[in-house]
Amino acid sequence: MATNTDTNTSPTDDTASKRVVDDPILEIEDTNVTYSEGDTYVLEDVNVTIDRHEVLGIVGESGSGKSMFASALLDAVPDPGLLTGKIHYNRKDGSTVDILQMSDEELRQFRWEEISMVFQGAMSSFNPTMKVGSHFKETLRTHDKNVSEGMEFARELLENLYLEPERVLDSYPHELSGGMQQRALIALSMVLDPEVLVMDEPTAALDLLMQRSILQLLDNLQSEYDLTIIFITHDLPLVASLADRMAIIYAFQFAEIGPRDEIIGNSAHPYTRELLNSTPNLDAPLEDMQPIEGEGPAPVNVPSGCRYHPRCQLATEKCRTDDPPFSPVDGGGGHRSACHYREEAREEIPLNFGKTAEDFDQQLVSDPTDGPNAGSTATLETTSDTPLLSLDDVEVHFGEEQSLIERFTQDPTVVRAVDGISLDIEEQDLVCLLGESGCGKTTLGKTMIGLQKPTGGSIEYRGHDIWEAKAGNTDIPYKEVRSALQIIHQDPGSALNPNRRIADILTEPLRHTHPNIGRAERRDRMHSLLERVGMTPAGDFLERYPHQLSGGEKQRVALARALLMDPDAILADEAISAVDVSLRIGIMDLMLELQAEFDTSFLFISHDLSNARYFAEHGDGRIAVMYLGEIVEIGSAERLIHDPRHPYTEVLRWATPNLDLDAMDAEDPPIREIDVPDPVDPPSGCRFHTRCPVAREACREEQPKLAELDDGDGAAACFREDPNHAYWNSEPLDGAAENPEGLEQH
Amino acid sequence: MNYYLRRTVRIPLTILAVATFTFGLIRLLPGGPFTQLRIQLIRQGVPAEQVNARIEALQNIRPDAPLWQQYLDYLIGVAQLDLGRSISLNAPVIEILARALPWTVFLVVTSTVLMFVIGVLIGAIQAYKEGSRFDKVASGSSIFLMAVPYYIFAVLFLFFLSFQLNLFPTGNAVERGIEASLSAEYFLSVLHHAALPIIAFTIGGVGSTALNMRGNGIQVLGEEYVEVARLRGLPDSRIATKYVAKNAILPMYTGLLLLIGFRLGGTVVLEQIFSYPGLGYYLISAVNANDYPLMMGCFLVITVTLVIAVYIADLTYGLIDPRISAGDSDGY
Amino acid sequence: MVTETDSSSPDDIDWRSETSSAEMSQRDRLAEFYEQSIYEPAVVAWSDVRTRLGIVILSVYLLMALVEVLGLWRNPAPNQAPRLLAPFVNMQYPLGTTQSGVDLFALIVDSTPFILLMVLAGGVWATSVAIVVGTISGYKGGTVDTVITSISDFFMAIPGLPLIIILAIALSPENPILLGVILTINYWAGLGRSIRSQVLSIREASYVEASRTMGTSTHRIILKDVLPNIMPYVMVNFVLAARYTIFASVGLYFIGVLPYTGQNWGVTLNNAYNQGGLFTLEALHWLLVPIVAIVGLAFGLILVSQGMDRIFNPRVRTRLTGKSESVEEESDNENTSAWV
Ligand code: SF4
Ligand code: SF4
Repeated sequence: MATNTDTNTSPTDDTASKRVVDDPILEIEDTNVTYSEGDTYVLEDVNVTIDRHEVLGIVGESGSGKSMFASALLDAVPDPGLLTGKIHYNRKDGSTVDILQMSDEELRQFRWEEISMVFQGAMSSFNPTMKVGSHFKETLRTHDKNVSEGMEFARELLENLYLEPERVLDSYPHELSGGMQQRALIALSMVLDPEVLVMDEPTAALDLLMQRSILQLLDNLQSEYDLTIIFITHDLPLVASLADRMAIIYAFQFAEIGPRDEIIGNSAHPYTRELLNSTPNLDAPLEDMQPIEGEGPAPVNVPSGCRYHPRCQLATEKCRTDDPPFSPVDGGGGHRSACHYREEAREEIPLNFGKTAEDFDQQLVSDPTDGPNAGSTATLETTSDTPLLSLDDVEVHFGEEQSLIERFTQDPTVVRAVDGISLDIEEQDLVCLLGESGCGKTTLGKTMIGLQKPTGGSIEYRGHDIWEAKAGNTDIPYKEVRSALQIIHQDPGSALNPNRRIADILTEPLRHTHPNIGRAERRDRMHSLLERVGMTPAGDFLERYPHQLSGGEKQRVALARALLMDPDAILADEAISAVDVSLRIGIMDLMLELQAEFDTSFLFISHDLSNARYFAEHGDGRIAVMYLGEIVEIGSAERLIHDPRHPYTEVLRWATPNLDLDAMDAEDPPIREIDVPDPVDPPSGCRFHTRCPVAREACREEQPKLAELDDGDGAAACFREDPNHAYWNSEPLDGAAENPEGLEQH
Repeated sequence: MNYYLRRTVRIPLTILAVATFTFGLIRLLPGGPFTQLRIQLIRQGVPAEQVNARIEALQNIRPDAPLWQQYLDYLIGVAQLDLGRSISLNAPVIEILARALPWTVFLVVTSTVLMFVIGVLIGAIQAYKEGSRFDKVASGSSIFLMAVPYYIFAVLFLFFLSFQLNLFPTGNAVERGIEASLSAEYFLSVLHHAALPIIAFTIGGVGSTALNMRGNGIQVLGEEYVEVARLRGLPDSRIATKYVAKNAILPMYTGLLLLIGFRLGGTVVLEQIFSYPGLGYYLISAVNANDYPLMMGCFLVITVTLVIAVYIADLTYGLIDPRISAGDSDGY
Repeated sequence: MVTETDSSSPDDIDWRSETSSAEMSQRDRLAEFYEQSIYEPAVVAWSDVRTRLGIVILSVYLLMALVEVLGLWRNPAPNQAPRLLAPFVNMQYPLGTTQSGVDLFALIVDSTPFILLMVLAGGVWATSVAIVVGTISGYKGGTVDTVITSISDFFMAIPGLPLIIILAIALSPENPILLGVILTINYWAGLGRSIRSQVLSIREASYVEASRTMGTSTHRIILKDVLPNIMPYVMVNFVLAARYTIFASVGLYFIGVLPYTGQNWGVTLNNAYNQGGLFTLEALHWLLVPIVAIVGLAFGLILVSQGMDRIFNPRVRTRLTGKSESVEEESDNENTSAWV
């Protein structure tokens, strides 16, 4: 907001970055949360002041104590944790209370009326056996509010969150989609019109587009209802677009706090700077994105001195022994940092996104033949005699199960998960499937590697139909096809059988590739590969069970397991979204290196354009954008990001958080509806027309074909590509813009 | 709606299957009732040519007709509630069973409801006070209770309370000579007679119910929605009922369906011990008297009762769990 | 257990080498088997107080069975001792005698092998049918599933004891194994259904899909990926099925509808009950001795089952066998006991 050109600025605008907090709503002093009778700290020495009507973004890795901070603000630390210190709350009328001194009854009223909270899992925050509306009513009733007035307000809130109030209130939680539940939960937390909203990862389980849309709505709600928002997340760029001030938590302590622009552009802590550099985004040059080595400590063994020193590249002897004070940084209104070497950090760890996108564009434009893109087209052509995998008009339709009676009484409901996709994957190719959840990207991915049988069309592996091979009708053994196509799953938690040791898990692929080898040789192979994927000491890891590994390590084992099959293609299904941000780049780099080493192709599924970009651009690959079962645009990462042709790609690009301060403050979403239509009954004509910002009458009737672009690589399916199409003469649909900026005709 | 319709349609199908099965047992099981009956009749000196006629009179099956004919006859008989004629009591089977059925249902329903309520209460308190002294003692007792079959309680009660102390009657469902009426006397007598069987049957199931409820309760108490409800300031009583109890009991419901079957079967032993004139009692009497028509009638009626009991439980499950009626999830 | 030093893989074999050398030796295999299947479970089982107590109780029964098999105690016979001797009075007849002067301890010991065999048969039959039925219908799905589900639905609709009574009349089972099977003739149905639903969810787990993607055969997936994960549940239910077998058999002997030759716990109970045990306190022990025998066995089984899920829990395993500690936090989900 601070540098926005918008005229209707909220009260905190423009001043936020220059001013020390002067009208605090919450003053937190010397607050600790301890377990095991004071031995382990899960939140240590917090001294923070929160301004009225500000949005404070708090960023930390998982297990850094950030959720504990959220609970502390409501004095709701889970048992047997012990919360000590002072948390002063200044009411609107000027009186002050210490939250930690309140009686149970005072606390009961205080929570939700003054400070309210939104949790991460909306599904688990609602009672599954109670209608959503009852949650609102019982809350109003408990706090002695007028129920009918309160429900009026609730409806208003829901409407502001782009929900149909009546329908939502009358539903059970499981009948709503994840994004709807999350928004309903936000409404529930605001139903008593609180002053402060504490949000603990409120969007983490959602798609990027939904996350951004919700953030946008929050921004509106914040100014409309004069809220103070404390937004806690692991996703730095996401909150950056919303926050006035930001704080970074590392290992149960605040590492840095300050105005957003200071933190993003001029951070004075190595962790923040490296975190910024390790965040995949759309602007920074790829080679400057660096992972942070190592992982955050557990509460039982916090390092001495500066807790970041084992991972810090600037660490010295002093850092190992002396705890750096959390003290103000020169010149930055309220900017504080816990580091001995702030100046050095600023000098020696340059931020990668400072180099703006323009250099980048230039590079692309001036050197069209030498870009990675050119490389990829070259490989495409040289090997294009038989592609590794070839999809021809593939359809996957799921019929919902019907009982005998239903078969007579109802039409079958069919979900068209994948609807008519043709795509070739070359040897050592790299393709990213990008789209919202429910767009069919995972189904398509599984179809590509022969795990899901298509209901229409064909899929060939090096010219042999996979399903024919399975039936034994081709000269190529199915075993060969099967081992050639491997998978890495999204959730590291369930990717490994909890009852088997890593050695046993990795033995499984070796049984297929090297059936006759002895125990010693087997171990050697696993040993060397584990080292290759960065797990040392490998011998130690081999003896462990999956529960003894961290999420990132599990993902590495899953990768090793797939590689031991010596595959030609690996499907990585959102393989990094469950891994901590600071580790993502590391795993992506590893996959890319191994791709070269093993000569495999990668199919990478993601909902996050910046991850897809990192992957596709590094590996000279393509990004295919999917919407409701169809590919709507495909092309190289550069082209897609800098010259998106399909309005949906544009929307996804908008949804991708950006660290560029000038472009950071969110505009309104270039989209007319937040929720994806029901795939059982997809819209007629262009499936995107219900949400497309530039849809016209013509889009409702006719379906655009995926057509090669004349002036760029790849293809797109939108009428706007055809200058002579009837589209240009038809009327814009309800709510669609005539011809908005940024979507001008190409 | 779907869900209810499906369950309802299943009822006649299951009953048909059960009747078929019963027919199979009667007619085809080597050494089964049919053969035994024939042997018995011949032993009684019934002339060979009359045996079939006698069987037909007793069991509405014509032994000389082709099998499918017998099967149809049997099904038609069942549909007309004609289950044959009891040999030992010399009365239509259906009449005897119609008198016995209410007692069995009364025993099973009362004791199961009691068991459920008591078990759930104890388990819920344990879950709330996890790790406390009460929890430990209750868990220990529950495990021990699980190791004692209900009929042991029945025998011990009978020994001490009926025979030694003469506090309770040792048989029958009501005092002889008291007419069935709405009088208090009648009700008291019924309760007096049913008290021991019901208590024994209840105690026998409380242990596992409590343990189950404790486990579920602890799990639900750790759920985020309970935490959110607390933060919203809801009173503890509402959280305990609408949030914890409801969600902890739901998973036990499917087990309950199975349980009804076991308990209905269990009445065979229970009623025998207390000489309580329910279905189980007549089944055993029939077995001891070689009264095959009565025996098979008992079996069929007990089974049909179970089918209907499970159906009713199923319907209420649909009422309390919103997720069930929407999707097809059958929670077994 | 194996401590290798970092980064030094002994030979030059690396993960891509083509060579293949010596077979895994027999000793290696045995050592591995001992470690994983005997040593570790034993350590875990013994660490739990309840399980330890349960094991001790069950050992007593095994000992009694052994005494009988080796013929170390007299056989029961009428008038071998004074009538209605109270227990612990005369150590010749430690548990007292019946009205017809039979040594009660001899009675109990005499039928211990029979009961144990029957209980084992019942438990094994019920759980193995349930596992087979549940895994096949859960993993295969489709028509197979529909058929199996309908069949088990049907069996669930028949109350157990009445069916057993009718079968017992027809088949007159006196062999303990056959008897065990008949007693649990439809017990598998409910258990099979719940195993099915567990298999259904395991089937969707990523690691199963990964195994499928590697081309691992279905039976190996079931063996390695599916079964170990339902094992805790199966073991607990094995015990519950065994308990059901005891309860049902004794109950039916007690009311006199199972055929028998000689005496056993249920028959003893029946005799005590019918021949005056109910009316006088002098005969109370006659009633109590078989009761204690039954309850003791069931109690031992249940105690063992209470710690059973821990044996299969890798978290507990690693913690107790002294291997490196867990990264994730402990989630103790204790009770898996089913209900019946
Ligand atoms: S104090 Fe030292 S170790 Fe800590 S962040 Fe600063 S430079 Fe790094
Ligand atoms: S065809 Fe029409 S509705 Fe579809 S993306 Fe293009 S402009 Fe939008």
